[in-house]
Amino acid sequence: MSLDSGEIDRLLSRIALGDRQAFSRLYDACAPKLFGVCLRILRERSQAEDALQETCVKIWRNSQSYAGGSQSPMAWLVSIARNHAIDVLRARRAPAVDIDEAIGISDPGPDPERNAIISDETRRLTACLEEQKPERAEALRAAYVEGYSYEELATRFSVPLNTMRTWLRRGLMSLRECLERQVPE
Amino acid sequence: MTAADDKQRQEREALAAELALGVLAGEERRAAERLAATDAAFAALVDAWRERLLPLADAYAPIAPPAAVKRAVEARLFAPATRFMQGGWWNSLAVWRPLAIAASLVAIVLAGVQLYDPPAGEDRPLLVAALAAEGGPVRYLAYFDQGRDQLTLTRVDKPPAQGRDHELWLIAGGNAPVSLGVLGREEGISLAVGSGLAAEIAAGAVLAVSDEPLGGSPTGAPTGAVIAAGPVKSF
Repeated sequence: MSLDSGEIDRLLSRIALGDRQAFSRLYDACAPKLFGVCLRILRERSQAEDALQETCVKIWRNSQSYAGGSQSPMAWLVSIARNHAIDVLRARRAPAVDIDEAIGISDPGPDPERNAIISDETRRLTACLEEQKPERAEALRAAYVEGYSYEELATRFSVPLNTMRTWLRRGLMSLRECLERQVPE
Repeated sequence: MTAADDKQRQEREALAAELALGVLAGEERRAAERLAATDAAFAALVDAWRERLLPLADAYAPIAPPAAVKRAVEARLFAPATRFMQGGWWNSLAVWRPLAIAASLVAIVLAGVQLYDPPAGEDRPLLVAALAAEGGPVRYLAYFDQGRDQLTLTRVDKPPAQGRDHELWLIAGGNAPVSLGVLGREEGISLAVGSGLAAEIAAGAVLAVSDEPLGGSPTGAPTGAVIAAGPVKSF
């Protein structure tokens, strides 16, 4: 991402006014990240390309609702991509292929440039996940990153559905408590 | 707070977290989405969870999408207007000059200026804009008189709703929108533009009209829906 959050925010406010140049700049800056989201969740290139297209159309059409809300620009953009990709994922029945196959390259590993700048938010969340039981933290991460449903998580972690639900609900609530402890009011 | 209230509050919080995380499926997911669309307090809980969980998105490595995706997006969003605007007659000076002159004549009449005063120097490029809703009809025609730093608009569609005003904005380059004024209810509108801003009304700048409370935006930035927008063109 080559633009900072303030710049993305300014572009979104211009997009809300119908500024196509601003939309083009936002696309250039953010589409790779959003495509990464779609590809990771859908694991199929042509579906991910369609999902990115839908995501961008929604960004243009809903930009006025962003302007009236309180979310950070990246949280808003990533949510639109994740929501759409998860909708597509839930609607289809075909088994997912391997992610490396979908991307067409082997896992590049952590991006050193991105990892050089670890935000305070990331550091806090990572610390809070580490307080949880490892398999629960892992399930939480997999739910977010891969877009797995409770049902898929239960299968993958070989626990009953209700157990998985209890894990994640408790995990989420203790995550919130931990984050609130770390941010002095 | 009763125990039942507390239980209900916890249930909403957990549901908001689940929706933000993305683990719900089927009817459960649909029901939670409906709640978020209709219950602002619940939607705020969901937003807060999206913010909390955002660092997990660091796991998504950016991957450049094929160029065809951007073309497809822009074609879907802008194609009708683009075709319309590139369809020959739109770019034709023969159409624009009389329209612009007509618009400036309206302004001249309104301003009580004598008619024999020529509208614009023939050698100076005409700066005009057609402001349309996305994929919709043209709602305002704008003509900028560089000699007088005067922007003339002709409304060709419905006036603002009762108790509302239309406000005109200039978006130049990478700048935030700047208000050029409230448009009122007349069909022909003439606005004097300060010389600092006048220099920014050039080809490529965007004029946009938003729906605002009476008297215009209280914040200095657009607060209502954008009802029409269009780029300034030079002829």
